[in-house]
Amino acid sequence: MEWESDVRELKAVGAEALGGGRVGLRIRGWEIESSKRSILTSSLVQQWEEKLQTSHLPEMVFGESSLVLNHLSSGIKIYFNAFDALCGWKQEGLPPVEVPAAAKWKFRRVHYDERFSVFIRGKSSAEGILINATSSISLAIPPRDLFSISCSKATDEVILDYDYTFTTPYCGSAGIETNPESGRGASEEGSCSFHWEDCQEQINMVALASKEPILFYDEVILYEDELGDNGVSLLTAKVRVMPSGWYLLLRFWLRVDGVLMRLRDTRFHCTFRESTEPIILREICWREDTFQALSSKGYPSDSAAYSDPDVIRERLPIIKRNTQKLSFT
Amino acid sequence: MSDLDRQIEQLKRCEPLKESEVKALCLKAMEILVEESNVQRVDAPVTICGDIHGQFYDMKELFKVGGDCPKTNYLFLGDFVDRGFYSVETFLLLLALKVRYPDRITLIRGNHESRQITQVYGFYDECLRKYGSVNVWRYCTDIFDYLSLSALIENKIFSVHGGLSPAISTLDQIRTIDRKQEVPHDGAMCDLLWSDPDDTVDGWGLSPRGAGFLFGGSFVTSFNHSNNIDYICRAHQLVMEGYKWMFNNQIVTVWSAPNYCYRCGNVAAILELDENLEKRFRVFEAAPQETRGAPAKKPPPDYFL
Repeated sequence: MEWESDVRELKAVGAEALGGGRVGLRIRGWEIESSKRSILTSSLVQQWEEKLQTSHLPEMVFGESSLVLNHLSSGIKIYFNAFDALCGWKQEGLPPVEVPAAAKWKFRRVHYDERFSVFIRGKSSAEGILINATSSISLAIPPRDLFSISCSKATDEVILDYDYTFTTPYCGSAGIETNPESGRGASEEGSCSFHWEDCQEQINMVALASKEPILFYDEVILYEDELGDNGVSLLTAKVRVMPSGWYLLLRFWLRVDGVLMRLRDTRFHCTFRESTEPIILREICWREDTFQALSSKGYPSDSAAYSDPDVIRERLPIIKRNTQKLSFT
Repeated sequence: MSDLDRQIEQLKRCEPLKESEVKALCLKAMEILVEESNVQRVDAPVTICGDIHGQFYDMKELFKVGGDCPKTNYLFLGDFVDRGFYSVETFLLLLALKVRYPDRITLIRGNHESRQITQVYGFYDECLRKYGSVNVWRYCTDIFDYLSLSALIENKIFSVHGGLSPAISTLDQIRTIDRKQEVPHDGAMCDLLWSDPDDTVDGWGLSPRGAGFLFGGSFVTSFNHSNNIDYICRAHQLVMEGYKWMFNNQIVTVWSAPNYCYRCGNVAAILELDENLEKRFRVFEAAPQETRGAPAKKPPPDYFL
């Protein structure tokens, strides 16, 4: 059951629902809209793979879902979508994380090598990829994210090398909306530009903890992968809008069972005020730890204990944190 | 009406059995399953179903589309439990049907039919919540060890949850596996339940996780050829369209959990084979919200930080 805004509460603060089948609201010069769609169809997956130059995408890509916050007078648009996040994943290109069973599998591979007794093992250190193949291999130009080896035997082995955890440094997208339908003609006001600048200010978490009425709430999943039942990789954006402002959490949550957990949170807070340019703070906070380290600190080491990222957040040490402010030039 | 028929009616209403009834049912099921081969023979006509994952009301949609058991002969490819809200009712209904109509329904094991996986992905917690103890989980996971590993339809269609293994080139090699154990972390039995076809691989590949077998088109060709089978039918991977052919129609993935995890928006499919092995895919959608029984209530505001 979806969250529903209370019409009277909206009216009381001069806000209104978007209507017309759209989910979201207009409030204090902002238009905030979420859209939740199905996962990509197989043909769209193929198109995305081509665009992203990869042959592996998360199992569930909610490619047409998004969360968009438009500031009408400045044209600033802050938005969240799976495509931009996956571009970030592709760029960061972390090395794969081995699952606990991998140790056994290494032994196993050697075992098969002996069985078929036709393999040579090669390691191309620059690309960090292992290749087992017959003596008559021909290496093609490496397409996308694995080495292609054309061999004559069906027993030839390729070890895929891509970050299957889909870890992304994505911290939202932003742009200037020039569409006149959004209430702003770009030509009239000319273009203004903006960037995120490090700042000393902090998001006021105490104020955010107060039980101000929530006028609108939604959570949009951007992508999700079950890591072949070895954990979870999940990117979501959730927003709540109060009479005083809006607050948003973009969260990448990773648990590789028995190995490690990663939490990459980006928080946005905007306090409503009467001005052409909005004040928005953005806090990026990355946390990460291994199951081994957690267990040595006395925390449980079974995966079942870590199904809720909020619960484990405090247990994971911070590895990166900074706060930025949207700045106009 | 026998006790068993009454239990089936009860389970069809999505009402779980008593703990003592589960225990008795599992004992009876064990006697039947222990006799089955690792490559269980199945006659056509038969309807093949992929992952269900505790989506009980969607499985009822499946039966609406495919017809009731025993009128329709069913083959389920595993992953009955975890992720969805009703793993207990889903698995017990299938198991009760198995005990009642052993020749009209075949259940094979998926990678989620395991003690380790169910402790992480939902079934264990659900049993604990619904029964206040883990006994039902124990009875069920003990039964998992007896489930067959694969099926062979009219000697022509090989069915398995995950896929092939580099350790297996003939069906006889599968027949020699001692299956009555927890799913191991490696080896042939593990592969049958866990592996995936991958079109970036030709022969066989290793997942970037360092464990997990990926098999390519030429591996499938040689397996099908040497075992004289037409194609492989497997489940295990979500497909937005409900089913997906790969490698020139040598293998098909069938997925039977519509709107997977209640949020993916995918359709599901079952594969009907008639007595001549003519194929018909039946695509179906998730049960409408109002038939799911769960009360539709406005959630409280989420003051997340």
